[in-house]
Amino acid sequence: MSDYAIETSRICKEYPFFSLENVSLNVPEGQIMGLIGPNGAGKSTTIRILLGLVHQDSGDVRVLGRRMPAEQVAAKWDIGFASEDMRLYEGMTLDWHIGFIRSIYPAWDAKYAQLLLKRFGLKAEQKIKGFSHGQRVKATLLLVLARRPKLLILDEPTTGLDPVARHEILRELTGVMADEGRSILFSSHHTQDVEQISDRITFIDRGRVIDSMDKEIYLDRWRRLRLEVPAGVELPALPGIIGVRQEGRVAVATANAFVPDLPSAYENTGVRVQRVESMTLEEIFVANVEHSREREEACEAL
Amino acid sequence: MRGSVIWQLVLKDWRLYRGLIVFSIIGGALALAIVQWRKEPPLIIGAICFFSALILVGHMLPIAGIVNERKKQNLAFLMSLPLSSIQYTTAKVISIFGTFLIPWLTLLAAAVLLVESRGFIPRGYIPIVVILAFFPFIGTCLITGVALVGETEGWGLGANVFCNIVYSLTWPFLIQIPGLMTNANGPTVVWSAVVLKVLGAELGLSVLILALTFYFQSRKRDFV
Repeated sequence: MSDYAIETSRICKEYPFFSLENVSLNVPEGQIMGLIGPNGAGKSTTIRILLGLVHQDSGDVRVLGRRMPAEQVAAKWDIGFASEDMRLYEGMTLDWHIGFIRSIYPAWDAKYAQLLLKRFGLKAEQKIKGFSHGQRVKATLLLVLARRPKLLILDEPTTGLDPVARHEILRELTGVMADEGRSILFSSHHTQDVEQISDRITFIDRGRVIDSMDKEIYLDRWRRLRLEVPAGVELPALPGIIGVRQEGRVAVATANAFVPDLPSAYENTGVRVQRVESMTLEEIFVANVEHSREREEACEAL
Repeated sequence: MRGSVIWQLVLKDWRLYRGLIVFSIIGGALALAIVQWRKEPPLIIGAICFFSALILVGHMLPIAGIVNERKKQNLAFLMSLPLSSIQYTTAKVISIFGTFLIPWLTLLAAAVLLVESRGFIPRGYIPIVVILAFFPFIGTCLITGVALVGETEGWGLGANVFCNIVYSLTWPFLIQIPGLMTNANGPTVVWSAVVLKVLGAELGLSVLILALTFYFQSRKRDFV
C-alpha cells in the first residue's frame, strides 16, 4: 500500500490554448497540500484529472492507490470534492441534499452533519436559493465532510468568502485532520488561507509545477535582503539569489536558498546588508512565479 | 453499489421533475376532453394540444435534466459522486425515459381508449395515432442524446427546434407512404405490414440514437 494519497507522474494534457506539462504531484497520507497558482495556471485541470473527470494525454495518476481515470468510481467513494464553481440545486432545501447524499454514502455521519449545521449556522429546511454565497459554500462542504472521506480535494473553496466564513471553513478543515489518515489537497490563489493550514505547498504556473516542498522549508529558505551598494562596488551574483532589483545605491535581493552565511558573503564584497527579512507565502509565490517566467522567457529567447 | 448510485440519481431526477409529469398528463387529458366535442375545429385543436403535451414533456425533460444541470453548474456536484460518465449517461437515459414513459403511455392509452369507446373517429386511425405518438418519443431520444453529447445549451435548444420542424415536415410525407392510410377510415384496427414497418423504423431510430449517444459518451476524454 502506498503512503501517498495522491501520486502523479509527468501528467500532460494539451488544449488548443493551454497545456499541462509534466505535472508531478505527491500528497503524503495525513497531510494538507496547498496548490497555489494564478488564475489559469492549471489548478482546476489538474484537479479534474485527479478526479478522473478529465483524462490526461500521458502520465500516471494514482489517487488513494487507484489508477485514474480507469478506477475513478472506486476512488471517488473515498474522495470528497468541492469546487468554487460547484452549485447545489437552487430550488431544493439543504435537507433534500442531505437526504440525497446520505442515500448514496453508507458511511454518512448524521451526528457530524448536525454538528456542522450548527457550527456553520445553516438551516436544513431552507432552500439553497435563499442562501448567501458563504452559506452555499458551507452547505457544499457539509455535504462533503459528513461523508467522512479519506481524501478531500478542494478547488478554490474560500474564493469570494468574507474573513469570518473563511476562518470557519479553515478551522473545520484543520479539525478534519485530527484523524491522521485523512489528506487534503487545497487549491487557491489566496496564499494566506493556504499558509494557514497546509503542510506542503506546490506552486503551479502556466501549466507547470514550478516548485513543491514543505511549507516550513519554504518559509525558511526564502528571504529578502535589503542592501546598500556603495559607489564603485558592483553587486555580485551569489548562489541562492534568484532576483535583484536595484535603484541607485539601494538594492533588494531575493534568496530562495538562504543560508546564514549569505549576508556575510555580501559584506565581503563591500555591499552593506541593511536588513534580512522573512517573506510571506504570498511574496514567495509572486517571486517564484516571476522567476519561473523570466527563466522560461530566457529559454525561449535562446 | 454501482447500481444504487445510478438508482439514486434516477430517484433524484424523479423528485425534481415529477411536476412535469402531472402537468403534461393534465394538459393531455384536457386536450382529449376537447377532442370529444367531435366538431372539426375543436377536434383538430384538441389533437394538436394532445401531441403538444407529449412533445412538451418529452422536450422539457432533457432540457431541464441535462442542459440546465450543466448550465446551473450542478454537474460538478453530481460528478463528485462515485460515478463514471457512462454511469451518469445511463442514469440520465433511465430517468428521462422512465419519467417520459409515464405521461406518454398514460395519454396514448387514454387516446386509444377514447377512440375505441366513443367511436367519433374511425377505429382504423388507432395505428396512425400510435405512429404519431412515436414522433415525440424519437424527439426525446434525439434531444437527450444531443444534450448529453453536445454539452451546451445551444446544442440542446438546436435539437429542440430541429425536432419541432421535423414533426411538421414528416407528417405530409408519412401519409404518402403507400398502404399506410388504407385502413384508417375502417371500423377495425388493422396492424398492417406497412404500419408495423413504420413503427419498427421509429423504434429502430430511437435505439440507434441512444446507442450513438452511449458510443460518443464512451469516447469522451473530458467530462466536466
